[in-house]
Amino acid sequence: MLEIESLSKSFDKGKSFALKNVSFHLKEGDVCALVGESGSGKTTLVRLIAGLETPEAGIIRLNGETVSSLNSFVPPEKRKVGLVFQDYALFPHMTLLKNVLYGISKDKNKNERAREVLNLVGLGGMEDRYPHQLSGGQQQRVALARALAPNPSLLILDEPFSNLDAMLRMQLRNEIFEIVKATGVTAIFVTHDTQDALAVADEILILQNGELIQKDEAANLYTKPNSIYVASLFGNTIQLSNELQSAFQCPLNPACSHAIRNENFAINEECEHVTHARVIKRTFLGHDTQLLLKLDSGQKISVLTKDRNVADLIMIGFNSKDVLEFNS
Amino acid sequence: MKQAGSKNIFSFKYRLQRLKRDSNKWAILTLLILFLIVLPIVSIGVKLFSGPGETWSHIVDNLLLDYIGNSLFLIFACGAIVLLFGVSTAWLVARFEFPLRKQMEWLLILPLAIPGYIVAYAYAGIFDYGGTLQLILKAAGLPFVRFDIMNKSGLAFVLGISLFPYVYVSSRAFFLNQANNLMEASEMLGVGPVKTFFKLMLPMARPAIIAGLILVLMEVLNDYGAAKYFGVNTFTTGIFRSWFSLEEPETAVYLSALLIVIVFSLILLEKFQRRKLRFNSNRDNNMRLNRKQLSSKMQFVILLVVLLPVLLGFLLPVAQLIYWATLTYENVFNLYFLTISVQSFGIALLTAFVSVIIAVILIFFSKWSRLGFIKNIAKLGILGYAIPGAVVAIGIMIPTIFIDRWLIDIMDYLFNVDMGLILTGTLVALIYAYVVRFLAVAYNPIESTALKVSNAIPDSSNMLGVGNLRTFFKIEFPLIRTGIASAFILVFVDVLKELPLTLILKPFHVNTLAVKAYEYASDEMVMEAAIPSLFIIVTVMLPVIFLNRLLIK
Repeated sequence: MLEIESLSKSFDKGKSFALKNVSFHLKEGDVCALVGESGSGKTTLVRLIAGLETPEAGIIRLNGETVSSLNSFVPPEKRKVGLVFQDYALFPHMTLLKNVLYGISKDKNKNERAREVLNLVGLGGMEDRYPHQLSGGQQQRVALARALAPNPSLLILDEPFSNLDAMLRMQLRNEIFEIVKATGVTAIFVTHDTQDALAVADEILILQNGELIQKDEAANLYTKPNSIYVASLFGNTIQLSNELQSAFQCPLNPACSHAIRNENFAINEECEHVTHARVIKRTFLGHDTQLLLKLDSGQKISVLTKDRNVADLIMIGFNSKDVLEFNS
Repeated sequence: MKQAGSKNIFSFKYRLQRLKRDSNKWAILTLLILFLIVLPIVSIGVKLFSGPGETWSHIVDNLLLDYIGNSLFLIFACGAIVLLFGVSTAWLVARFEFPLRKQMEWLLILPLAIPGYIVAYAYAGIFDYGGTLQLILKAAGLPFVRFDIMNKSGLAFVLGISLFPYVYVSSRAFFLNQANNLMEASEMLGVGPVKTFFKLMLPMARPAIIAGLILVLMEVLNDYGAAKYFGVNTFTTGIFRSWFSLEEPETAVYLSALLIVIVFSLILLEKFQRRKLRFNSNRDNNMRLNRKQLSSKMQFVILLVVLLPVLLGFLLPVAQLIYWATLTYENVFNLYFLTISVQSFGIALLTAFVSVIIAVILIFFSKWSRLGFIKNIAKLGILGYAIPGAVVAIGIMIPTIFIDRWLIDIMDYLFNVDMGLILTGTLVALIYAYVVRFLAVAYNPIESTALKVSNAIPDSSNMLGVGNLRTFFKIEFPLIRTGIASAFILVFVDVLKELPLTLILKPFHVNTLAVKAYEYASDEMVMEAAIPSLFIIVTVMLPVIFLNRLLIK
């Protein structure tokens, strides 16, 4: 449905690349999350797909039609891509109804359709309000309704929750993706929050410094990250250096690098690889307590535990199946 | 570096393909408009290669030093006057409480409503033999002391007192928005107010002050009417002399080119002084200003200090003009005068309309073009504001005469038709020149309101399937209306006041209020100049007050 081939974008004539040689495909109906730190190129990627930027190289195809290549460029208004902006970008001088009608002014049943999508996002009855009279979450939903109204073949949500506070964010995230999945539209969801991505996406793309470094299903990304960077995006990890390997008496393949997730350490439990350690600092984090440990061999590591009353001298260990292995 | 297997996407071939892909109609139209706007300035540059006129060596030997000396004197003397009045009044109004402060705030802008040449006429009348000052002194039984104002010092005073509001406005904005925190910090450190002003505020406000000062100096170099009336030889009067009296366009072009060099050196100087200095804090200070309450005696002194430039730059000249108007209205106020007024307003309205459209085209078409360099060069279109009106006029004459001759030859050759001039000496050329000169006046307010509209807004309109032009009318236009309105008003006002460019380019049968005032003054009928002058002042004053409201808000 969406095909991207060796897409590259540079804003400074090739001195640096915002996006470098990115290729991937999306199937009809997929909900895909685009994850990366700020500056990783995720917004650039979706702006290229939307047609708001021109690429330096590469091809973008939508529904089999080439919309962007070295010789051709379909302008954004002809691409049938819906985009929900980070700051919602509602038209401030128009009511909700006018905002939603804006993209479907030529449709025969435009009024029914507008009311339909407003009801879909739960804002039926507020048609005559202006954007500034709404809360952030409501504005977000109007932006979604407006983007969905013309039945786009692809829907892009660019950091849709970054302007909301944490409580609202979770609730709205679930609501919005229920709506998105109910409409069956192919969607790309840009976020820097891996929890958001894991919660809603069928598939996750990880960008780092403009390069696509992994594309996989959510569960696979968590259990089989292909680099320590990806592993650390989904939770704290500790790299198993040679020193740590010998401390835990756990020799691993020297051709690869290894890491283990913080939560896979077990305290005072039977494990395959264990060592003794002394707690030298405790930091209370609410749900968890962070322990700074000094191992018998002298290295320091920090782990999380739910047990607030850990003794000063403990046994710490992990099992081989939890070790993540990367080709370096 | 070319790697095996991967193509070099920055090779010439690929760049060319992308250029072809990204060239849309908006890019081409932007370039076309830019070409027309830059053409007059380029024409002067090109003409330089065809050699100066016969009198050039005469001018170099006898007059050039005079031109340079006088223009430099005016730059420094006017600069000193506008700094003195502009910065002091801005500081007092922004930092101190005193009676009538709110009224003074906008009264201080009013001198801008009177063009320099009209202030010059009024002051000549005040200080002349048999002038107002003599009458008053005689009535009071005092001996007459004559100030000779018709010289370059007098000219510097007249221009300075009518132009200081540029510096007042720019530095007041700084003192209002940025100064509060700094002032308080300084006070907390135990530094007195006088030391704070000179050690902290003045250096901090320097970029803002100099930005205003540069505008003043451009106006000074642009002036023709006042210098001519006071008999001071400047570059601009020199250009007029060689154009009209000596009938040597080549010499006028050479002088114009020199003047452009001076103006651009000033601009570079400003850029240089601003280079590292970015004092403006990135957020507006919303905190309420704490104006100082001094003793009532001191408050009265402040009021007098602030009142002085208003008196000199506005009240006094206007009083003189009103006095003259009462003496001459019977002779001046007739049907012909009304015709001139209508022509004047018509031309100004038409120019304002065209300028706003061109400014909108430059700002938005360049944004819609997908080529990066178009966006970067679109601002070249506003260079005309730096170029003195007389120079722009000559720059317009060169290509329009060329095109006219070419058209006449072609028509004669092809159809044997004897055609007249269709551009030279017509309204088309005049309005073309106004647009070149005042495009910046329209461009800046529109651009600054457009910048406040997040890019995501037009982008989301595009994403909803609506093209650029419709997006502009449905989304952007309603959101930038205030910017467009102020652009329209500002150009209207500037055209109404404009003299040198109009004198050179106005069609034979057309007249404007400014030209009429100038003609009266040149024909030894300066009293009759009062009525057209007052007409200009009143028409300009209303929008200036309106815009100040916008600015304060």
